[in-house]
Formats: sequence, C-alpha cells, structure tokens
Amino acid sequence: MSGRIVQVNERNVQVLENGGGEPLLYLHGFADIHSVKESWLPFHEKLAERGRLIAPAHPGCARSDENKDIDTVEDVVFHYLEVLDALRLTRFDLVGTCVGGWIAAEIAVRHPEKIRRLVLIGAAGLFVQGALIGDVFMNAQPEYGSSYASLREMLFSRADHPMALEFFPDGKGELEDELRRYQMLRLSSRVGFKPPYFYNYSLKNRLHRITSPTLVIWGEKDNFVPRAHGETYTEKIPGAKLTTIPGSGHSAHVEKPEEAARLVREFLDK
Amino acid sequence: MKPVQLFCWHFMAYPHLDKDFDQKEYSGWVTVPNRLWDNTKARGLYQEYIDQLAYADELGFDGMVLNEHHQNIYGLMPSPNLIAAALTQCTSRGKIVILGNLLPLHLNPMRVAEEYAMLDQMSDGRLIAGFAPGGGPETFNYDVPSANTREKFWEAADLIVRSWTEDGPFAHEGRYFPLRYVNLWPKPLQKPFPPVWIPGSRSPSTMTEVARRGYCYFLSSRSHGGETHRAQQEFAAVLEKHGDKYHPFRFGILMSAYVAETDQQAREECEEGVWYFLKNCLKGHLRREGRQLTYGPGVPYIPAAAWKEYLKDYKPGRKLLGDAENWDELDASQSIIVGSPETVTRRIHNLIEKAKVGNLLIQFQLGNMPDHLSRKSMKLFAEKVAPPLRDASASQFSKEFPDANIEQPAEVAH
Repeated sequence: MSGRIVQVNERNVQVLENGGGEPLLYLHGFADIHSVKESWLPFHEKLAERGRLIAPAHPGCARSDENKDIDTVEDVVFHYLEVLDALRLTRFDLVGTCVGGWIAAEIAVRHPEKIRRLVLIGAAGLFVQGALIGDVFMNAQPEYGSSYASLREMLFSRADHPMALEFFPDGKGELEDELRRYQMLRLSSRVGFKPPYFYNYSLKNRLHRITSPTLVIWGEKDNFVPRAHGETYTEKIPGAKLTTIPGSGHSAHVEKPEEAARLVREFLDK
Repeated sequence: MKPVQLFCWHFMAYPHLDKDFDQKEYSGWVTVPNRLWDNTKARGLYQEYIDQLAYADELGFDGMVLNEHHQNIYGLMPSPNLIAAALTQCTSRGKIVILGNLLPLHLNPMRVAEEYAMLDQMSDGRLIAGFAPGGGPETFNYDVPSANTREKFWEAADLIVRSWTEDGPFAHEGRYFPLRYVNLWPKPLQKPFPPVWIPGSRSPSTMTEVARRGYCYFLSSRSHGGETHRAQQEFAAVLEKHGDKYHPFRFGILMSAYVAETDQQAREECEEGVWYFLKNCLKGHLRREGRQLTYGPGVPYIPAAAWKEYLKDYKPGRKLLGDAENWDELDASQSIIVGSPETVTRRIHNLIEKAKVGNLLIQFQLGNMPDHLSRKSMKLFAEKVAPPLRDASASQFSKEFPDANIEQPAEVAH
C-alpha cells in the first residue's frame, strides 16, 4: 500500500494506491476505506491483485482537504474531474459503493468515454418514489448515551455483525477512527442532508448516456439504500446487470468481501 | 451602574402529556407523535402563557424572553415573533427578548429583519433581537444541512443588521442570500439598531464572532457552576483581544427558579412540574434516554479539528441534566434553583458574584406547572428576591466595572 498526497487546484487529496497495470478508480462510502479505516480492507486487497487500484479520499475525508464550497454532488464531480487530470487517468474502470457509487454514476453520465467498465455497489443517487433512502444522520446520533446500534443496523444486515461492531463501536472508539467517521458524515451532509436527500433528481434521466458495461451489486438486505434503487439503476443504464448478494446488508463489500470481490473481478476481466 | 437585569423566560411547554409518556414514548423532540396533542385540554394554553408573561411585566421584570422551537413538547413556539407581537399589545415596560430566530431555517433573512423591525416599532423600541443558528433537532426539523450552517448564519445576521443600519436600496452580494434590492420598510425604532444577543455554548469561534461585532453573548447551558464562570472569563479574554472590555451586560445566562414561602414548600409545590420538565421535555435533548439529538456526529456543523478537541473530553453515556435521578443530583447542577426567597436570593447572588453576569434569564413555568403556582413563584421572586439581587449586583458591578460603557457600540463589522 502506498498513500500519497496529490495537489488538486491547491487542495490536498489523499490517494491510496496498490498494484500495477490497468487502472481502477475506487470511490468510497460510509463503511469503507478512508471513512472507517486508514488502510485497505480485504475486499480492496482482492481487487488490487488484478491491477492498479486507486482510492482517493473524498474532500474533507481522511487527509484530503475540506472544500467548503461543496454544496451539491456537482461540486464533487468537478473535484474528481480535476483529480482525474492530476492522476492523468483518461480511461479506467470505476467502482463505487454507497455515496461513492452515486459520485461514480454522476461521473459516468458526464464522461461515458472515460469509463471502461462501471460497478455500482449499494449506490445512492436516485430518487425512487416509495423507496426512501435511510436517514444516516439521525442514526449517527447516539441512543441511550452511547449506542450506535441503529446506525450499524442501517449500514449492515444486522447491528451485531462483527465488522459493523468493529467499524461503528458503541461509546467512543479510537480518536482517529471517530474523526474519520465524523469527516465522512460532514462531507455527506454537504451533498446529502437537505432534500434532495442523497439523490440528484436529474440523474435518473441521464443514465442512458452511460456506454460502458455496467454491473450493479446490491446486498439482499440493504437498510440504507433500498434495493429498488439498484433495480432502477439496472433498468436505466443500457445493458446493466443486477446481482444480489444473499445475506448481506448495505455494505456488501465488507460483509461478503470474498463474494463481492469475486463478482467485481469476474466482471472486470470479462 | 445598572443592576442585574432580570428577565422572565417562557418556553411554553406542552403540559398535557399522560403520566406514562416517558415509558411509552421514545422522544419529546422532532418525532414525538403529534397525536398526543389534545385540543380539549390545550385550548386556551397560549393565552395562559401570554398572560403569565404580561404578569411578569406588571411585576417589574426587566423583560420577557421567547425563543424558537419546532416539533417538540419543550417549546410550542415555532414562531416566537407571533407571541412577541401579542406582547407588544399587552405589556408596556419590559424588553421583549427573542432568543432567537433560527436564521438558517429561514428561506430569506430579510423576513427576520422585517419582522424584528415591525416588532421594534410595535413595542416602541423594546425589542432585543436574538439570532441563533439552531442545533441538532432543528437540523432535522427543517433538513438544514449542517456543514456550512455557521457561515450561513453569520451571513444572514450581518445582512439583517446592515439592512437596519444602512440606507437602502442596496445589493447584497452574499454566497448564501444574494439579494438585489435590500430596502427595509419599516426601519427599527432603536438607534443605531436593536440590541443583538447571540447564544453559544463556549465555542471559541462563536465568542470571537460575537466579540467582533460588539454583541451580547448568551451562554445557552442550563447547568451552572465552574463552567459558567469559565465561560465569562473566556468571553472577557476574547473581548480583550478585540480591544474591547467585558462588562456584565455583554453576558447572559439561563436558569430556572421556583420560589415559595419556605424551602420545603417550594420543593413540594414545584416537584411535579420539575420532573415533568426533566423527564419529558428534555427527552431527546438533554437526556441519554431515547436518542439525544442536540449534539453528536450526525449534525456535523463544527469543523473536524474542533470535533477532535470535543472528543478528547467526551465521555459516552455521561449523565445530562434530564438524567438526574434524585433531587440532590438536580440541585448540584444549579440549573433549577428552588427554595424560600432567602435561599433563592443567596444562591443566585453567589452565581452573579462569581460569573459577573448582568443578564439573568429565568424560567419560572416548568413542564406542567399550573398557572397559579407559576404566578405565585414569579410574584415572590419579584417582591422578595429581585430587590436584594438588584442592590447587591449594582454595587458589585460599580466596584468591579467602574468605567464600563454599557451601550452597544455603533460600529458593526461586516
């Protein structure tokens, strides 16, 4: 693993990289690298075996500078266009989970020519009538003084999943980890707190622009971004395929890392 | 030097919850089910509360205090300006303090500038204008994204004061509230503009912004002791740094009080209202039970560095005011001062003496406290507690702040 700081428009962006070969850009979500841990999770290590894995931390997350001018997901997209320029990435595979999946889809509708293959895992970003995206902010406020059980329940298949307990412990975790989680919530509140709540109404009507082969992966029991969102992505992106991971919640890449990584690798290597 | 200013604060709680509310319901804030509202019981409630405030004016309190809350049983004033408008018609002497309008919840700050200007005219210059950013619950009430709340808040506050002081029309070129034609009709009556109070909870950045602008800082904590004194010292140091000087009327605190003929009678009379307030009204706000919405990572409005500082001392599961299990614990928090006139005078006197605070905002009606008891307590306070507090504080302040200029500075930083 090598972490480095890339300068983008006079702001620092922390980028983790691993492996060599064809580039894969990975955009993180809540229960993920940069948001809960500094280093790769098993899922990422599996992906890095097949090529060059590049995972920047969103603005304000980990050691990436905050950008207080970020108001909408559009601002995040432009941030990433500059990151792509700085990294000289012109054509690459793109994998995003959760909020990162939303950003990935927004990049793909604007620059379909840059994307070789696209994978969305539990991606937010769509307005789907009758299938509200969960309130991660309310659930991040502790219950009974110190319990984050309902947050774990939202981001995983169940509140007592060992990885859920490791990433979102009750009480107070390690200071650095607490800070990571806070930073991710802060970035997310910029783009996902107000209505529209973690979505861009127009995105649905732009998805037909995507030209890359696309795989949509959803946990069977996603309590944060309902499965109907995965179905909508699949329906609107030409040729997209939806695969469900049984027994998993929202964070499939953490709960079923082997299976999720295998699906992604098989799809990318096709 | 003027003596301590004694204000009567009314929160306008919903007083008709069943006894098992705390067992049955998860929160008193934001998601508290509104099927609990009972029109048969609640009819006339606003009138009762407004009359209590008018009574405070009659009793010689220096002012009446209102504030803004949404979707809770703690305070039934989504629009304190409406209650303030009623007070302009049934009071004649005391200040009308609105602490405050929650600026990030308003689509356009000019609406606040206009309503405050109207209230200042309608009350013949008695308005004290409070601006507040709102906290956790309000973030959820109106879905206000929190990361830029503070910045947005100060842009709104500065625009309002500018609209009161500068001739219009002018264009406001702001990031959040750009406006082509700022041109206030009516103007407020007070010159250069109504006093501005800003609540804070000891965050250095809020103190700095308040000091820069020459406003009054109000400590929003409900518990008092060493921290109150420290807040005063911190604010005084910040003022000093800005070439300004602390005096008691730059600072205010909130407390609750209940006064009766004897200590024992006081406790007996107020206890039901006190526990109703602590266990029901504070559930979701200053209690561990259920979900505490007021402060936490889900409303990430402070920068990450400040959050890191906060976390260093943060003890998960710590007791908050509403978690007091018995009277002794409650008493130690110095949040609700209960007793005979002598006891209450002594305890509040000690607090003023240490914290050098000139604006004392006192809540008399607590939870479901009945009208006649609230009024009796207010009357005893006005007749037996207020006079000695005024005497003692006037001589204390003259001694400690002989050269204080207690007028609000006319120059306002933009």
